[in-house]
Amino acid sequence: MIIKTTELKRSFEVGSETVEAIKGINLEVQAGEFLAITGPSGSGKTTLMNIIGCLDTPTSGEYFLNNKLVNELNENELAGIRNKEIGFVFQSFHLLAKNSALDNVLLPMKYAGTNIDEATIRAKHVLDQVGLSDRMNHGPTELSGGQQQRVAIARAMVNKPSILFADEPTGNLDSKTEGEVMGLFKELNEDGQTIIVITHEENIANQSKRIINIKDGLIESDTRI
Amino acid sequence: MLFKESLISAISSIRSNSVRSFLTSLAIIIGTAAVIAVIGIGSSAEKALEASIDDLGGRTLYVAPGQNRRGAVTKGIIPLDIKDAEALANYKEHDWEISPTITRNRQVKYGNANINQRIGAYLPIHFGVRGYELESGRLFDEDDNLGRKRVVVLGSKIPSELKTIAGNLLNKEILIAGTSYKVIGILKEEGSTGWQNPDEELYIPLLTGAQRVFGTPNVDSINVGISNDQNVDEIMMSIEQILRAKHDIGPGQDNDFRISDYSQFADLRRQATGIFTLLIAAIAGISLVVGGIGVMNIMLVSVTERTREIGLRKALGATHSAIMLQFVVEAILLCIIGGLIGLFIGTGILWICATLFDWPFALPIGAMVGSITFSAMVGLFFGIWPAKKAAKLDPATSLRYE
Repeated sequence: MIIKTTELKRSFEVGSETVEAIKGINLEVQAGEFLAITGPSGSGKTTLMNIIGCLDTPTSGEYFLNNKLVNELNENELAGIRNKEIGFVFQSFHLLAKNSALDNVLLPMKYAGTNIDEATIRAKHVLDQVGLSDRMNHGPTELSGGQQQRVAIARAMVNKPSILFADEPTGNLDSKTEGEVMGLFKELNEDGQTIIVITHEENIANQSKRIINIKDGLIESDTRI
Repeated sequence: MLFKESLISAISSIRSNSVRSFLTSLAIIIGTAAVIAVIGIGSSAEKALEASIDDLGGRTLYVAPGQNRRGAVTKGIIPLDIKDAEALANYKEHDWEISPTITRNRQVKYGNANINQRIGAYLPIHFGVRGYELESGRLFDEDDNLGRKRVVVLGSKIPSELKTIAGNLLNKEILIAGTSYKVIGILKEEGSTGWQNPDEELYIPLLTGAQRVFGTPNVDSINVGISNDQNVDEIMMSIEQILRAKHDIGPGQDNDFRISDYSQFADLRRQATGIFTLLIAAIAGISLVVGGIGVMNIMLVSVTERTREIGLRKALGATHSAIMLQFVVEAILLCIIGGLIGLFIGTGILWICATLFDWPFALPIGAMVGSITFSAMVGLFFGIWPAKKAAKLDPATSLRYE
């Protein structure tokens, strides 16, 4: 089991009020799943992603990642987990504007302390996998939106993470490139990659194998397709 | 690899904000330039001073008239005169060169040129003691002196001051204080020693000067040249004995002259230069610290601007220390670049000053290494807080920062 959460809660202090963003989430995810988390804005899906992506820690409850309790780890240990176990793909790509595609893909391995020669070989390999072997020395400004997102996917995949997180990965893309990116996710999933997509678009969610709908900080439905 | 990544990121950040980076490091640039220029000028001036002391050839004691106090009553200055110098010269116990001097400014005329110039009356040995060399003509000798001849030897710059050239003046008559003197020789260029400029002086025999130009047997000073192996205290005591006897000073009365050691002046001057250098260097050091505050300010701005980038780096696995490293390296690099620019400017200023004042030019390596190190430390010190701020950012919120 890759992910197991029990009674996961997260509240925020807003002024003098305490707002509960998620109110007790119990979730289990097996290796190799292709999961979509959906829900309207403010439902708590982003908070949930932040916690299971180790960008945030829960106020209470337990979160096991690869059978390891992570909600009590310190910040540097969490950084290590983000580096090795989790790959992020964001709506707005989040590439470093002044770096080439190759350098962007190299970045997680620099933080992992990978030897530069090995890192370069691996980076070139994943860029090849996402079909960008001829564009790796181009900067983000010289790439189309779809290409930028594919660089981001290559970057997320380069440390062979347990989970690939995609937060509205097609939100900034037209429908053709949207299809390309989702196709890429499907291919990766077929190779055994666990993928979690956070989206509010139904047609994106429908391309996954399991849809979890969040409402008001709780799981409203959990449907396997 | 992480350090290299930090360095590359810092360079790219500094380059993409080149104007801002330049303005930020301006105080560092000025501070470093000032430190290097001031310390360099200080040590060059000191070297020039030492060279001029060496020029005096061995050691020179300086005897000058001084106030004589008798109880509370102060008598006027009792002058030293040529007879005192002769008494010293006639004393053969010591191997010393006695060189009395009278110098005043007088009008000098040649053709249409009319200048007010320093006239020095010396014994013929003066040229040898100072190591002055002839360009053309001859020096005056003992006969010229004893005969009170109206002859003059010119410093190398005098012909141009008189709006002519050396060749035109040799063996011609010029007017000094209205009286005609024959130019018998012109000296080679000696260069300023920092004390005086021998190239801008006219040299006449001592007795000629005393009798014809200045009308006084009183000398300004008597230089006593000795070799370095002689005992200075012993020499001073001999001078004192001779002059006290000559001036008829009884036991218990104070000297009416003073004997100084040029090397004492040099020590004093060296000390003064040292204190001055230290003071300016301290002010320049403050400017470096002020520069550091500017760097801190801009680093804080940079951290805010790059919140999303920091969030992303954290999401990709950057640890607290990796983010710290990135921003500290950027702050240090900013200061070091400023320091290096300042180093070039400071060295330039130093070179210009050395050339202008004819000082020996030497790179102040210590000050250079010191100020660059200090700049780097300023960057480290003032970079830590903004870097900490960056490292502490929450990854989830910074990723969504607009």
